[in-house]
Amino acid sequence: MQIAEHREGATTIAALEGRLDTATAPATEEKLLSLLDGGGLVADMSEVRYVSSAGLRVLLKAAKQARVKGVSFSVCGLQPAVREVFEISGFDKIIPMHATRAEAVAGA
Amino acid sequence: MDAAALRHEMPPEVEALPGLLDRLEEFSEAAGLSPGAAQRLSVVAEELAANVAMHGKGASRLLVEARREGDSVHLLIEDDGPAFDPLSAAAPDIDAGVEERDIGGLGIHFVRRMTREAAYERRDGTNRLTALLDAG
Repeated sequence: MQIAEHREGATTIAALEGRLDTATAPATEEKLLSLLDGGGLVADMSEVRYVSSAGLRVLLKAAKQARVKGVSFSVCGLQPAVREVFEISGFDKIIPMHATRAEAVAGA
Repeated sequence: MDAAALRHEMPPEVEALPGLLDRLEEFSEAAGLSPGAAQRLSVVAEELAANVAMHGKGASRLLVEARREGDSVHLLIEDDGPAFDPLSAAAPDIDAGVEERDIGGLGIHFVRRMTREAAYERRDGTNRLTALLDAG
């Protein structure tokens, strides 16, 4: 998993690339939680081809931490197969999803 | 070896899961699975293998087999740990909000939702989980 950071106004974009799975979940979690210290965060998933339950757990933790800190957290650019994993788990109802990075930043 | 069949033996460790996912991606491509079907196969296999790796104390080996037959994919996960039926786990509450949402049981929820059939049996000192998935 590679994570590139960008800044758009007050929002941080974390562009994830690779698989968000059991093996990559711990390092990804650490990174996303530290980025939330800087304010609102958008996880750009357009280069993530695979998400397992361990990966969803990381995103849930980020969403919970964002709520505690009073900042925004959303995801954008989900590939269709990854979106299906979100929908089956019910995560589409608890983590805001946007089609594009621009929409996610506008909604942050 | 048949391009549309996979046989992958691995140690029951979390560190070995990326190698399994690599092999599953190769299999899905060779077997001509749709992107959705490939994702479902990888999720189901990873959840079951991770279950053995993280909870199957005493297992010394883990075998993953997959083969395509027509519009179906047959998956087998076998380990030599103590008897355990992962399908007996309780279903998660997928309607809970972000605050109360607990992640427990989500992996098995995926196994149930992404397979046409899944069955567990204890045979000759091994746990055998077989599942049938759509190839399209």
